[in-house]
Amino acid sequence: MAEAILYHGEPNGPSLSVLAALEESGLDVECRPIDLLSGERHALRGVTDSVALDFAVEGEGPVLVANGEAMAEAVFLAQYFDEAAGGCGLQPGDPYERWQMLMWCRQATERLSPAVAYLGNLAWSQKKLAAMANDDFERLLSAIASVDQRKRWQELRDGVVDAAKVEDSRVKIAQFAARVDAHLADGRVWLMGVFSIADLETYAWLRPMRALEPDAFAGQDRCLAWMDRVGARPSVKRALARATSPGPERSFAPGPEINRWG
Amino acid sequence: MADVTLYHWEPNANSGKPMLALAEKGVAYDSHYIDMLEFDQHKPEYLAVNPQGTIPAMVHGERVLTESTAIMEYVDEAFPGPDLMPPEAQDRWRIRWWMKFMDQWLGPSFSMIGWCTFVGPALAQRSVEEREALIARIPLPERRVAWRKAMFAEFSDSELAESRRRVAQGVKLLEDELGKRGYVASNQYSLADINIFNSTYSLPVGSPDLCNPQATPNIWRWLRTVYRRPAVQQTWAKGQGRFTDRFNALMAEFA
Repeated sequence: MAEAILYHGEPNGPSLSVLAALEESGLDVECRPIDLLSGERHALRGVTDSVALDFAVEGEGPVLVANGEAMAEAVFLAQYFDEAAGGCGLQPGDPYERWQMLMWCRQATERLSPAVAYLGNLAWSQKKLAAMANDDFERLLSAIASVDQRKRWQELRDGVVDAAKVEDSRVKIAQFAARVDAHLADGRVWLMGVFSIADLETYAWLRPMRALEPDAFAGQDRCLAWMDRVGARPSVKRALARATSPGPERSFAPGPEINRWG
Repeated sequence: MADVTLYHWEPNANSGKPMLALAEKGVAYDSHYIDMLEFDQHKPEYLAVNPQGTIPAMVHGERVLTESTAIMEYVDEAFPGPDLMPPEAQDRWRIRWWMKFMDQWLGPSFSMIGWCTFVGPALAQRSVEEREALIARIPLPERRVAWRKAMFAEFSDSELAESRRRVAQGVKLLEDELGKRGYVASNQYSLADINIFNSTYSLPVGSPDLCNPQATPNIWRWLRTVYRRPAVQQTWAKGQGRFTDRFNALMAEFA
């Protein structure tokens, strides 16, 4: 594997799942914390190919820089770690089970993560961004290549709230918690039967919603027990131990957009 | 009877992905043509296969698989034949990145423009009641929203402008990418090429100002290379030529 540096935010959302996946892989990769909400992700040194960072669908997530190439998207970074390690058990070996895992992860990244990012940013990052000095914010914005990503930063700073998106996000989070709960009804320990990236990705996005959307978890006892199991894994504990603030689950920066249509 | 059955529309965009992947691997399959404009995908016989009513869907033995990109990954892993993913982990990551970029960022913009200019007008002669009835039987709420916009021409100017902006941006990024490597995301023909070819081969026909030999020489070189693959020719013969005829003619012109 190429010499690489993982730049990550506080262990929450995509930074949490990628840090935990790295721990699971056992690979020796240098990790450097950055402040995603200050735009540090867009000023990384040693990046000679930034397209995947600039146009990441997941928004402001962690970045692995290897051979000068900025690599992004949490699920794919987890797959990368698994494969670079020669298979550390983060992906099922059977092609059909792997398809099931990919389908689950796609649901998590298309439905759950935009919803969590929307609510999390409004709750915990909007005021910080609004308080930023104009010059600093303009400098931050000018470093962001993607026009639509810039727009999400601007709307967050301006406090633009779409009531329909808020409601849609709350519904999607509750649906996903219920979906996890139903999936575990056959007594399985992990979402795909064996532990996988699906557990890390889903846990990393649901975890911050325990405080913000407690009703979404009401009565979802199997989901809550599963979250406790994921949280107890040494890889997740070590990832969370990288926090530099007391509440990493409140650390958000503009994430993926909610589907434009259909 | 083959062990694989594929339910697909034209060899284009999502349907074209598993069709081409199966052809590249040399896997025989029973082909079920689902006419999207006749709404075959929302009829009970198809919903019995895929209750979500999306195309394509593939049945392999007892297994039913949906979502075109994930089906392709399954096809590559489950069947012998040429590898459609390179062995190097960073190349595999890059291929996945490009497929997500197409599926979730660029593809929906292609799709919105296509539905506005092709699908909507193709259905405009149907009565309002008939269109409402067709929408009512779509299982997924998100797809109901999409079809309603297409059937009743409800796309706003700003939505379409944003889609056109993204298409122009995406074409530029793809042109740059193909200047770095022989194929999309690696130097080997892969799932990324299949994915992106299916959504971009119509560019020289539909958006000749954006994609042509002078403006996008790298894309042009790559389109011609992929077009010449026997799997593409075999696959396109399974369609009705709705989208491929004009590109075929263009390629003949530049042969």
